[in-house]
Parts: sequence; C-alpha cells; structure tokens
Amino acid sequence: MKKTLSLLLSMAMVVTMVAGCSGGTKTSSADSDVIKIGVFEPLTGANAAGGELEVEGIKLANQLRPEVLGKKVELVIADNKSDKAEATTAAARLIEKDKVVAILGSWGSSLSIAAGDVVKTNKVPAVALSATNPQVTAGNDYYFRVCFLDPFQGTVMANYAYKNLKAKKVAIIQEVSNDYSVGLAKFFTDSFTKLSGDPNAIVATGNYNTGDQDFNGILTNIKAANPDVIFAPGNFTESALIIKQARALGITAPFIGGDTWETNEFITVGGADVNGAVMSTFFDDTNPLTEAGKTFVAEYKKAYPNSANIAAVSALGYDGYMMTLDAIERAGSADPVAIRDALATTKDFEGATGMITIDANGDATKNQAVIKGVKDGKFTYMDTVTID
Amino acid sequence: MKELQNSLGAYLKLHWKTAVFLVVLLLGIGLADQFVDSYMRRILNLCAIYVIVSLAMNLVNGFTGQFSLGQAGFMAIGAYTVAVFTVPIESRAAIFYLEPMAPFLANIQLPFIVALILGGLVTAVVAFFIGYPCLRLRGDYLAIATLGFSEIIRIVFTNTQSITNGALGIKSIPTISSLWWTFGIALIIIIATVLLINSTYGRAFKSIREDEIAAEAMGVGLFKTKMTSFLIGAFFTGIGGGLFAALLGTVDPKQFYFTLTYNFLLIIVLGGMGSISGTVIASFVVTLGQEALRFLDEPMAFGLDLPIFRPGLRMVVFSFLLMVIVLFYRKGLMGTNELTWDFMAEKYRALKKRLGGKKTATEGGAKK
Repeated sequence: MKKTLSLLLSMAMVVTMVAGCSGGTKTSSADSDVIKIGVFEPLTGANAAGGELEVEGIKLANQLRPEVLGKKVELVIADNKSDKAEATTAAARLIEKDKVVAILGSWGSSLSIAAGDVVKTNKVPAVALSATNPQVTAGNDYYFRVCFLDPFQGTVMANYAYKNLKAKKVAIIQEVSNDYSVGLAKFFTDSFTKLSGDPNAIVATGNYNTGDQDFNGILTNIKAANPDVIFAPGNFTESALIIKQARALGITAPFIGGDTWETNEFITVGGADVNGAVMSTFFDDTNPLTEAGKTFVAEYKKAYPNSANIAAVSALGYDGYMMTLDAIERAGSADPVAIRDALATTKDFEGATGMITIDANGDATKNQAVIKGVKDGKFTYMDTVTID
Repeated sequence: MKELQNSLGAYLKLHWKTAVFLVVLLLGIGLADQFVDSYMRRILNLCAIYVIVSLAMNLVNGFTGQFSLGQAGFMAIGAYTVAVFTVPIESRAAIFYLEPMAPFLANIQLPFIVALILGGLVTAVVAFFIGYPCLRLRGDYLAIATLGFSEIIRIVFTNTQSITNGALGIKSIPTISSLWWTFGIALIIIIATVLLINSTYGRAFKSIREDEIAAEAMGVGLFKTKMTSFLIGAFFTGIGGGLFAALLGTVDPKQFYFTLTYNFLLIIVLGGMGSISGTVIASFVVTLGQEALRFLDEPMAFGLDLPIFRPGLRMVVFSFLLMVIVLFYRKGLMGTNELTWDFMAEKYRALKKRLGGKKTATEGGAKK
C-alpha cells in the first residue's frame, strides 16, 4: 500500500515537472502582439519586503500604461529568492524561456550584479531600480538604473552635516557586512573631509555586523571622541538600536543616515529616541518633485488606499517601468538591442522621483534628494536639496 | 605491455556495461554542451557543482560518520581564491574602488585551472587546522567547530577589505559556460570517490562510522583516517566553491551563510547518507525540482487564476514533496545502496515479480 502510494506520488512529481517545462515553452512561442517585460525581484527570502514594494510600483505603472507601440505589455514576474545563484537562473529563465525584451530589478545590488553577466551575454537590457552600488552598471553596457548612487547620497548627507548642522567633527558607524552602508560611509568621509578642509574631521569609526544587538563598545569610543554629528548608514533595526543605546549612554549628538531608515520598524524599535534622526531619500509622497510624481501619488493612493505612506522604492519601480516603455517607444521596435540603445540616450525623462538623464555608465544623473526627519514618531519632509 | 593489454581487456570484459555507460554519458554531455540554451546550461552547471560539494560532504558525514557542517565556509575559501586570482588585472581598480587591493596580490593573475586547484589546496590546509583539535574528540564537537568556523570565515572575508573587497564583493570573474568544466570535474570526483571508498582507506572510513572502538581495536588509526577523509572532503568542496564562483561570475560574503550548508545536508539526507549514486541523484532532483516547480509561482498555473498561485508557493510544494519522500524512504532515496548493474537487475526482477504476482491475483485491475 505504502509502495503504491509512494509510486503515485513520485509519478505526480514527474508529471508536475513535465508540466512545468512544457508550460514554459508554451508561453515562449506566444504571439507577437505582446511585449514582455521581465520583473526580477526577491519575493521570498530575506529581501522579500523590498522586492514586494518595487513590484507594487511596477504593477501600478503597468495599469496606467498597459500598451506601447500598439502592443500590450505583459509583465513576467520571476522570484530570485534573495539568493545569488537563483538570481542568475531566474534572469536566464526570463530571457530564454519567456523571451522578455527588457528586465526590471532587482532590489539589492548583489542580486543585480549576479544577473549582470547574464543580461550582458544575452544582450537584453536591464534597469535596476533601487540598487545603489556603482558596480551594478560599471563595465556593463546592458545595465541601467533609475536611482541615485551611493556617492551622491554620501555627498548629500555630508553637505547637510556641514552646512545645516554646522558640524566640524563627525563619527561614522558602518554596517561592515552591508555593501550599501560601507559605500555610503566611504563617500560621506570623502566629501566631508573635502568640505571641511580638515583631514581629521572624522574623529571615530565603528564597525558592526548585520544582526548585532549590543553596540556599547563602539559607542563608548565615539563618546570619548565627542563628535558633533554621527553618521550611521545601515539596516533600520540595528540603526534604531544604536541610537537607543547611544542616548542611554548620554550621547547627545544628532544621528543622520541613509534611505534604508525609512521604515516603520525604525520608529517602533527606536521609540522616542529616534526623534530628530535625519536621513536622505529618493522620494516623498507629500512633496513630489515633478508632475509625474503627483500623478504617481494620486494613482497610488487610489490603488492602495490602506497604505500609510508610499515607499520610495515603489516610486522607483514606477519610474523604471515608465522609462523602459519610453525607450521602447523611441526605439520604435521591441528589439532588445534597440531598446538598450534608446535607454542609453534617455535624456530629461520626467519620472516620479525627478528628472532622469542616463550618463555614459548607464547611471541616472540626478541632482535632487529629499531630506526627511523623524518628528513625534513620524517621518516628516524637511527639505529638497539640489547638488550640482 | 602485453600484460597490460591483457589486464585492460579483462577489465573491460568484466565492466563493459560501465564502460559503455561512460561513453554514452560523455557523448550526452558533449551533445548537451552543443545544443542546450543558456538557461538549461546554467541549471545543469549548478547540478554538477552541487554533486561535487554534496559528494564531498557525504564522504565525511555519510561514509566516515563525522558530522561536519562547514561546507559553506569551505566553499567560500575556494570561491574567493578563484575570484581573487582570476579577475583581470585591468578591471581590479574598478572593483576595489573603496580600498585598493593589497599590493602583494594586485598583480597576480593565474589561469583558471591553477586558481581552482589552489582553492582546493588552501581549503584543505584550513581544514587541517580545524580538524587537528576536533577530530581527536568524539561526539558533536566537529559539528560545532565547523559550523562556527563557517560563520567566522564569512565575517573574516567581510572585514579583509583589501583582499576580498569586503561586503562589496568581487565581480567580473571570468565565467565558465561550457558544461565540460563542471561535469568533467564532477565525473573525475565521482570516480575518485568510488575508487577511494572501495579501497583500504574507504573500508577504514566505514569501519569508523560503524564503531570507533571496534575499528581502533582492528588497528585503524582513528585520527589519521578521519583526517584523511576530512581533508579530501574539504579539497573537493574548495574545488566546488571555485566552480561556483566562476559560474556566477561574482562572489560576496552573504552568499555563504550557514544556510547554504543545509542545501547540501538536504541533498545527502535525501539521497542517502553513505551512497554516492544517491547523492548524485538527489543533487539533480533538488536543483531541477526547484526550477521545474517555478510555474507554481505564476498567477495562471494550470490555467486557473487562483490567489494561492503566487511567489513562494513552489517552495511550499517542494518542501511537501521532500517530506513525502523522507516519509517513505526513511534512509534516503538510495539508503546505503549504490546504483550498480546488479542492484538494478535485482530491482527489475523484484518489480517484475510483484507486477506479475498482482496480475494473477486481480486480473484486470493491476494494469494501470
């Protein structure tokens, strides 16, 4: 009896496998009046929350603009499980099985870097949405991005610390296992020492790993150095804990950070202690930078009436989709190489997160960032900075 | 010379089926290498790499009975060795843009195969230092030490920015796309493992697994034998890690979380602790199975628009299938058996007998 059942079940597994493979080939031979765009995001695993938000933005954009060149645009969503090996197979699958003409994503720079080789060798353009690591587009003609880079964000915060907070001495706490945090800290250091003209302006540096809970060792050192401002880009949970423990130690210097702080968990973990924390981000729903931004906010609120605030990455997902469609229209065909060439010549494209011009590296040159702060347990818009 | 020919002839006479099978297999790889698309190629390459690493783990865990959980760490060493030594020198400045590469490494570039073997050797050397204290003890100490080691190595690689580029990772590693690298090396390692297991050393490994005291009483040097198995396992894992880096073209420390080890643990438990063919089969089942079930993530699976068909469902179904398999095959798919010609013949006879027996009992019903 058991044997029969096991035989049946293994048969079922074989059947599903065959179904899976044949299903894939069926869609690939689809009619040509559909243009397929692949969405390549972590929808399960550690980065699922971020991937989900980007997909939200992309889907919204797809509802608003479902057609290009008179053809219907179909989104093919592939999960990369927040895993690098999976990321390469997911990208290869989108290209080979689903025959997509362009790929959007992924959340997380390392996943995008892993897929970089696949899109380059298969000559299918990809647009990264929130991946800020310069290596995503460096040396790869087929990868573009719509967000600003770590160097720009580092410069923005260094300017803020120097001009608005009148800081002379800064301490840095970086999450050493996170490429984003390490990059931001480095570019902040460079531009702050340049601004202040003082090579010793960074008085202390602390390193921690993702998942650490106790930061008293780092903070005691920093307290001894007595900085005016503490720059602590990194994951929201750890950053909130750092601020909490710093206040408990009696450190009164203000904390500034990057866009990863902008989550509800940052406030729930940090409580009253994170009030006054300041961060830079891509987008603010109360003060959209462009007309397209206003449309996006209105449509988003209609589509998702229950969400409290709009994540910047959703706006970037929206921009990535719209920019790709704009490129397809300008290319006049759905040929991946033609789309690549059109993407590379994108100039003054009006996105929800600002005007986008693609430079020689394939990066979006943006000169505007939003400064937000925590006030009474809420993220509040403070300023829009423009840097030339 | 003539004697050699004779013995070769005798060997072929005895193992002609295996020889034919090998030739067919090589032809199959050659054909696949010519005709499959890049998606399938990637999956097949991944299968072969999983075969290598799982086999190495099975050698230590399944055949020698030492519970080691260091696969992720060993792979990381192999992967980083290949990454550091094969990245083209001209693109290094762009990759190490935060902190330049250490001067003693910056101008060394090795051919892939040399870097790969070096990766295996470095891994084995590191394994020696972990094994030296731990393998003298009995019990779970090796598991604890190797698990700890694999986390330590990840954190070390995160912090040695001038060598490994820290959290930023290394990209632009020259990639391999031919199936010959992965399948060729996997085949060599499978054959080497088969020969090893059937040698004096292999029997010593198994005797330790069965009963350490009895093995020692029979004159097996416990420490030396365990160490041999552990070092060979680490060497193979390092090679597997190096191939993994070259397949993906990029490495960063986050790839080598200890959860990676559980992938291989899953494969060897599913295939059977102490079965080479079981490990090979399970590597393919796990890797291909996850990809094949991907259609469950799509909203229109089976032509039905049901809300449960959303990303993540395939993992649920996959885990369910694994549970079913483990429930019915408690010792893994193959147990400690090997897929030999005799084994297959026996299974075939048993199957024929059962079907035949049923036919006489319930005439028409057995046909399905």
